[in-house]
Amino acid sequence: MTAGAWRLLRHFDGEPGLQMARDEALLEHGGSSAVLRLYTWRPDALSLGYFQRFRDVPAAAGATSVVRRWTGGGAIHHADELTFAIAAPLEHALYAGPVVDSYRRVHALVIEALALVGVTARLRGDVAPLASDRAGSGMCFHASTPEDIVWDAAKGVGSAQRRRGGRVLHHGSIKLDTTALEGPIATAKVDVARLETALLTVFGRRFRLVADELTPRERRHAADRAAFFRSDAFVHRR
Amino acid sequence: MRPDDRKYTKSHEWVLLDGDTAKVGITDFAVDELCSGNEGDLVYCDLPEVGRILEAGATFGEIESVKAVSDLNTPVGGEIVDVNPVIAEHLEILAKDPWKGGWMIKLKVTDASPLDELLDAAAYEAHITADQH
Repeated sequence: MTAGAWRLLRHFDGEPGLQMARDEALLEHGGSSAVLRLYTWRPDALSLGYFQRFRDVPAAAGATSVVRRWTGGGAIHHADELTFAIAAPLEHALYAGPVVDSYRRVHALVIEALALVGVTARLRGDVAPLASDRAGSGMCFHASTPEDIVWDAAKGVGSAQRRRGGRVLHHGSIKLDTTALEGPIATAKVDVARLETALLTVFGRRFRLVADELTPRERRHAADRAAFFRSDAFVHRR
Repeated sequence: MRPDDRKYTKSHEWVLLDGDTAKVGITDFAVDELCSGNEGDLVYCDLPEVGRILEAGATFGEIESVKAVSDLNTPVGGEIVDVNPVIAEHLEILAKDPWKGGWMIKLKVTDASPLDELLDAAAYEAHITADQH
């Protein structure tokens, strides 16, 4: 692992479009920095994966608000969860090489953090289907791959990546509790602050985390772009 | 050894020039990084319309594997004159035949100058070997 400092950002209870725009700013304007950003959503929102068709996600019609992500994968209802975003250069030790290897490295850290709050999680591997697997919903937590993090025989962390301009944006949703739109999935059932502390402990063992804020340029970018992520043009692009 | 009739980018695109037309695709290494040998993990590829004008380095499309969406960038500038119609329904062609059948776009080249800066097959080989260590 590289010994370079990581920027640590926290944006709790953020408006959904603004949260997506902050991640875009870190993907596009983050330079050579590695960033760990932790956040929660207010109001709750359903995010569509970049390539998903709106009509293929029935839950989207019933969501409080809907945004579309730059990252791929399925839809997520962001309510009782801690979201992490990592933005880093592709050559960073976490992300160099095959995409699947980068998931294994990042998920090993998340599994370690979950252990600190008493959740014994593992990679799904070849043990499938999970109790959370369900066809036809378009929801991230209802589909699983060998690299997904599971406990209680169900998926508890959803994650996806976008790779652009030599950088990667990696989204992860760690579920604290489920919602009506998600149904039965694995949930950590801990306070968000405890999970945050655990993640910072684990990442802090590997990397030097430095508390930071968005730069003025990143902040301007996020403010200018927040409306785009909840716009009909983007949400209904497919 | 990769084909030596074309040039390569460090971000794993290739470009094959024929007169003033260039074909652009992505390398076997790029495909393998996305799907680790499981071509079924490639789920979507969005390619542009014919007629679009692109500057060298511009994003012309996007490819999604099960776990990542990646931008596709053109190494040379020009007007898109053809888009491979096979890819939409047969993404596996990118893994099975990345050098011929897996071309993505054809450009009428207006700016070939970036070609001089691109890697030949030997230099690309050295680049990805260094990447893996």
